[in-house]
Amino acid sequence: MNAGFAIGWRTVAHFSADPLPADWRDRLAQRLGRRLRRVGLWTELAMYGARCCLDAAGEGALPAGARLRVSSMRGAWGATHAGLAQLDAGALMPFTFMQGQPALMLAEVGRCLEWQGDASFALCRDPGQLVRLSRLGVGRAGMLLGVVEEERNGEKPRSEWWRLVPA
Amino acid sequence: MSIEGVYVAGMGLACALGDDLASSVAALARGGVSPTPVAVSQGVQWPVFMLPPQHGSWAERLERTVRSVAAEAGEGAGGRSGPLFVASSSLDIGDMEHEVQDLRLGGDLQDFAGLVARALDWQGPVFTISTACTSALNAVLAACDFIRSGEADEALVIGAELGNRFTVAGFGAMQLLSPDGARPFGAGRNGLVLGEAVAALRLGSRAARWRIAGGSNVVDGRNPSGTEASAVIAMCHEALAQSGLNPHDIDLIKVQAAGSPVNDAIEAEALKQVFSDSLPPLVSLKSLLGHTLGASGAAEFALLVACIEAGAWPSAGYALDGELGIALSTQAPAGLRNILLNVVGFGGGHASLVLEDCSA
Repeated sequence: MNAGFAIGWRTVAHFSADPLPADWRDRLAQRLGRRLRRVGLWTELAMYGARCCLDAAGEGALPAGARLRVSSMRGAWGATHAGLAQLDAGALMPFTFMQGQPALMLAEVGRCLEWQGDASFALCRDPGQLVRLSRLGVGRAGMLLGVVEEERNGEKPRSEWWRLVPA
Repeated sequence: MSIEGVYVAGMGLACALGDDLASSVAALARGGVSPTPVAVSQGVQWPVFMLPPQHGSWAERLERTVRSVAAEAGEGAGGRSGPLFVASSSLDIGDMEHEVQDLRLGGDLQDFAGLVARALDWQGPVFTISTACTSALNAVLAACDFIRSGEADEALVIGAELGNRFTVAGFGAMQLLSPDGARPFGAGRNGLVLGEAVAALRLGSRAARWRIAGGSNVVDGRNPSGTEASAVIAMCHEALAQSGLNPHDIDLIKVQAAGSPVNDAIEAEALKQVFSDSLPPLVSLKSLLGHTLGASGAAEFALLVACIEAGAWPSAGYALDGELGIALSTQAPAGLRNILLNVVGFGGGHASLVLEDCSA
């Protein structure tokens, strides 16, 4: 998906973690001033991209009235797969279960953006429809829109974000 | 989100209480049903409010139930070209449990919505909304965005949470489940009881009895597995502001309370702060249909409206926690017009809708 917001919107910043630096986790920990524990790879990828995008926009925190919208076709695939294997073995671990939840990703991304507000995880096979949905009802503070995918089957990981405001 | 002219065109529900709204309300009036023990591993089981047993595979059961609740909501009357929002927390993980490991998760997170769309022969855009317990309310808010902007005359929201051991085991591992029963705001409450449900809400621009006056969605990451008081307060204030209402305009609050010792207390305290000395009557449904997670916003919306329309009312059937200083209403409030429906969930999600009875 590219954001496709051209008419009526201004892209304040666009960030794509491509290529993903080898030390991206260290950079994220340094930026946040804390080492992440037990949030899972997918959420960490989302946090890294979102934080870099907001930094590129020159914003320390996402404005209170802005929306956060995230999409992913596979989500926390690794954590979910591991969780199912743990279930088979008779011991699903709480942190593995939590790491598979998109809602946990939204919470952690919001937290790393020093923000409390309207965040949602949505997807659609038609990227144009997803863009259409994302821009409906957005206020003057605009939105932070991200697409996050883990590495899988030879496909590179993706954490691509747009900071958008109405023009 | 300020919403003008979004109305409820139809509703449908299948839950542990019954296969449709009428049978669910009737079962509720009789005092409800008992949850079923679900084994998640050797020697470990938890009570779950299950849908009545059906034949066929997990996917066949989903398709049959979706068709049934959508038909009850009058789906098809407005065509199938508008947006369809499928709200769920666990999606098709229950189907995955039956696959061998190498074949699991071969698809993607949109597969579940694809199953729902196929069951309805849906022609319009199909969205998945997955924000844990707030999924269905966020789907309603998204549908309202579509209708209010004029991009659609009608939208269908399907909230669906079908049986799977994965979620039960996960909540069990997080020590959030009750081994015996859900007692929202209850004395000695010891956790929540999960539930299955599939609910349909058909929303449109055509005037009807129930109007969605406004709503809000507030995510706060400070407490990812629990309720955050400041977020509950922000959620209520935002929903009221967007509806053009003040706290004293609210006649009833459908609470989130699921039976958690800590989260229920935080919610009660936050509501008292929002409504000061005039806390409206409160109603809770989770002791009767369980916490239906991603479906709960739609399922509790439909069941509450059906109860009001039928003149039935849920009773708690257990002693409340006196220390909370709140009560659950034992009958529908007189002069009921504006209802605040609150859902708080896993991942720091807090969502609210204001529902107006235009016939009041």
